[in-house]
Amino acid sequence: MAASNNAPSGIDKEQIFGMAEKEMEYRVDLFNKLTQTCFNKCIEKRYKESELNMGENSCIDRCVSKYWQVNTHFFVVVFSLDLKKFGSILQY
Amino acid sequence: MDKSMLAELDTLPEEDRARMASMIDQLQIRDSLRMYNSLVERCFTDCVDTFRRKTLDKQEESCVRRCAEKFLKHSMRVGMRFAELNQGAPTPD
Repeated sequence: MAASNNAPSGIDKEQIFGMAEKEMEYRVDLFNKLTQTCFNKCIEKRYKESELNMGENSCIDRCVSKYWQVNTHFFVVVFSLDLKKFGSILQY
Repeated sequence: MDKSMLAELDTLPEEDRARMASMIDQLQIRDSLRMYNSLVERCFTDCVDTFRRKTLDKQEESCVRRCAEKFLKHSMRVGMRFAELNQGAPTPD
């Protein structure tokens, strides 16, 4: 957040805090879904041991990378598809 | 929360910084509790299938322990990679 000489008005500041909170919640949600999904995809449920083996480590890395790509790609696709439909989301 | 977010807090005036820090704290607490609950649910679902007795047998105990440790290690690794991708750093293939 850029430091400025003029203190932001009451409304601006509230909007900024609101946006920051939503952004943080989004990131936490993204992380949680990512963690759950890649665990389901990469780790066998038998739990033979408590360590992650090499195969699982690689799988996790690649899964996270791909999930991230889908997430980025999806963002672009969804918001360019129909701005009218999704325009309401963009109004804070 | 990644450390880069915390570093930016220093540029804010005192009261705003406190407010942001409090928001982050609350988010972290809520997230930790949620993670705990979902971990218990997952490991129970994966490890406990029979209900002939009311206490866990040795097998179920080990399974649950391994499940929890594994998930936490997995979560740490994901966190590492997530932070790297967030910063736009190139990651190994």
